[in-house]
Amino acid sequence: MAGADVIIVCEAGKGQTEAANTRLIAIGEELTRHCSGRLLCLLAGHDIGTKAAELSRHVDEVCVADSPLLANYNPEAHLKIAQTLVEELQPRVVLFGHTFIGMDLAPRLASRLGVGVASNCFDVRIENDALSFMRPMYRGRINARVVMDFRPIIVTLQLGGAEPPAAGRAGTVRRIDVGPVENAKIKPLRTIEPAPTGIDIAKADIVVAGGRGIGEKQNFTLVAELAEALGGVPACSRPLVDMGWFGTSHQVGLSGNTVKPKLYIACGISGAVEHLHGMKESKTIVAINKDPDAPIFKVAHYGVVGDLNEIVPQLTREVRAVRGGKDPRRET
Amino acid sequence: MKIVTFAKHVPSSVVTPRIAHSGDRIDEDGLSHEVNEADLYAIEEALYQRSLHKGSVTAITIGPGRAKEALHIAYAKGVDQAIQVVDEALRGVNPVLNVMAAAKVVKKLEYDMIFAGIQAEDDLQGQFGIGLAEALGIPAVTAVTEIRASPGEKVATVMRELGGGFKEEIEVDLPCLLTIQFGIRRLRYTPVMAIVRSRSRKIEQVTVESLAIPTEGLQGNAPLRVMKLSYPEDGGRCELIRGSAEEAARKLVHKLVEAGVV
Ligand SMILES: Cc1cc2nc3c(=O)[nH]c(=O)nc-3n(C[C@H](O)[C@H](O)[C@H](O)COP(=O)(O)OP(=O)(O)OC[C@H]3O[C@@H](n4cnc5c(N)ncnc54)[C@H](O)[C@@H]3O)c2cc1C
Repeated sequence: MAGADVIIVCEAGKGQTEAANTRLIAIGEELTRHCSGRLLCLLAGHDIGTKAAELSRHVDEVCVADSPLLANYNPEAHLKIAQTLVEELQPRVVLFGHTFIGMDLAPRLASRLGVGVASNCFDVRIENDALSFMRPMYRGRINARVVMDFRPIIVTLQLGGAEPPAAGRAGTVRRIDVGPVENAKIKPLRTIEPAPTGIDIAKADIVVAGGRGIGEKQNFTLVAELAEALGGVPACSRPLVDMGWFGTSHQVGLSGNTVKPKLYIACGISGAVEHLHGMKESKTIVAINKDPDAPIFKVAHYGVVGDLNEIVPQLTREVRAVRGGKDPRRET
Repeated sequence: MKIVTFAKHVPSSVVTPRIAHSGDRIDEDGLSHEVNEADLYAIEEALYQRSLHKGSVTAITIGPGRAKEALHIAYAKGVDQAIQVVDEALRGVNPVLNVMAAAKVVKKLEYDMIFAGIQAEDDLQGQFGIGLAEALGIPAVTAVTEIRASPGEKVATVMRELGGGFKEEIEVDLPCLLTIQFGIRRLRYTPVMAIVRSRSRKIEQVTVESLAIPTEGLQGNAPLRVMKLSYPEDGGRCELIRGSAEEAARKLVHKLVEAGVV
């Protein structure tokens, strides 16, 4: 039925692709079940046949735009393809991942179609065929339930939280034409991979992260010492990278690394949405922050409200006392 | 090179705003405001580009009376001109109005590049820049972390983030709009006295009403309607550990040992 379909705009690039696609399939599933429409997927990129075949097991149709023109993310070309497809299929909902590509493409599409977009959504509610979405505002200190009265409804979804759904469909794969963009004003030149640093905080069992609440660079020693006492690795929030203290390989979050350690300790980190993105699925989360209202406490299992300069050294002492010689690095 | 940069006056990041009785907006009473952090990076970058290419930087804010503080700060940082679109009715938080008002004001200016912060901390939508570029019919690149402009050739080569440490190098024709990502340049400290001194500098004010923007479609029928605001729940999951630093540390480590994570 026209007007009931859901299009998920999957990604074929590197980086956050898998997490985005998994989430899109899960929520797309849920919406199509309620709207009794078809679940369609748009996949744009270059050399993406395998990915398209994989995705077809989860959706009714994969529309593949495969061209060397799309080897890098090309805002104008990707927009043209998405707009053409949406105008042809007239879906009820278009879902993007809240990745850098989704954040770029969704508002472009919405602007072109003259509709709104709800970005960063983490929950969908379906009541009597009406859809509403939950999204953060005010740095994650407040949530908003929003509705959109126009079609299509365009949403970017926060990643994570969804299990990879079982492959339950045998969708068709349809190739769609990709022509050059006329009068292109944006020319992608190249995609640059992060330089290998030998540091992979995503592999660590224990991560102790410091944020802007650290204050001075020399105070980071407190965080590093606690990490060492626990046999874990030190990490940080984005402002510390922006100030030039660390490289991106130490950064946790949407524009850094996603970690899911056994234990994550956040020291002087407020818990902005983009930071939570990279750590909210950690097994046990401890937050140390002087602001009792800091959003980080909403995802933490244990919280200490107070000055990290006092608490963190005490923690290190206590951990050393308890663990004694258990630090593998000390044993060797 | 002429650069226009936008600065939004948003609620201070260090407090949780109170939700108003109506439930669909926050209560501004007693709330303090600051310049949106990403917009500070945009201002800083605009000034840096001016230092390379000469020209001028114009800062614009859209919001109620108090929002001119954002322009005092922009002046203190070094911009050449400041314009406020005074929006007392919707207080600068209606995304559709903001884009239409910005487009009207910018169309009267000369510019090679327009900067906006990657997103505003209040609505966390990240749509203003793209919406404005679409309204003006100019190209936009988002999440920019590096700019090499050649105003003579009417082109710029920029670096943008793609997430997870990936980046993309893009060539874009001028005039263009760039949304500026955190960290593009170090933020320089702005002395309070410089802000105080800049309070006497001229701010050109235009009211939203004078821009003759069609107001139907702005309220009620907005593209995105907030039904209800709420404070995030923690599901009672977070156990707060109390006591002195020493006591708290001991209790916490004990719990972590019990839970088998330490
Ligand atoms: C597209 C995009 C991508 C982004 N990607 C990332 C990302 O990957 N990772 C990331 O972290 N951010 C990212 N950000 C930035 C993010 O929005 C926040 O600005 C950032 O996470 C804030 O870092 P913070 O918590 O360290 O600093 P702040 O928000 O300034 O918080 C500092 C905290 O320290 C506390 N504090 C201060 N002093 C003390 C003390 N003495 N003792 C205890 N507590 C104290 C304060 O109460 C406060 O809560 C991104 C933003 C955008 C727009």
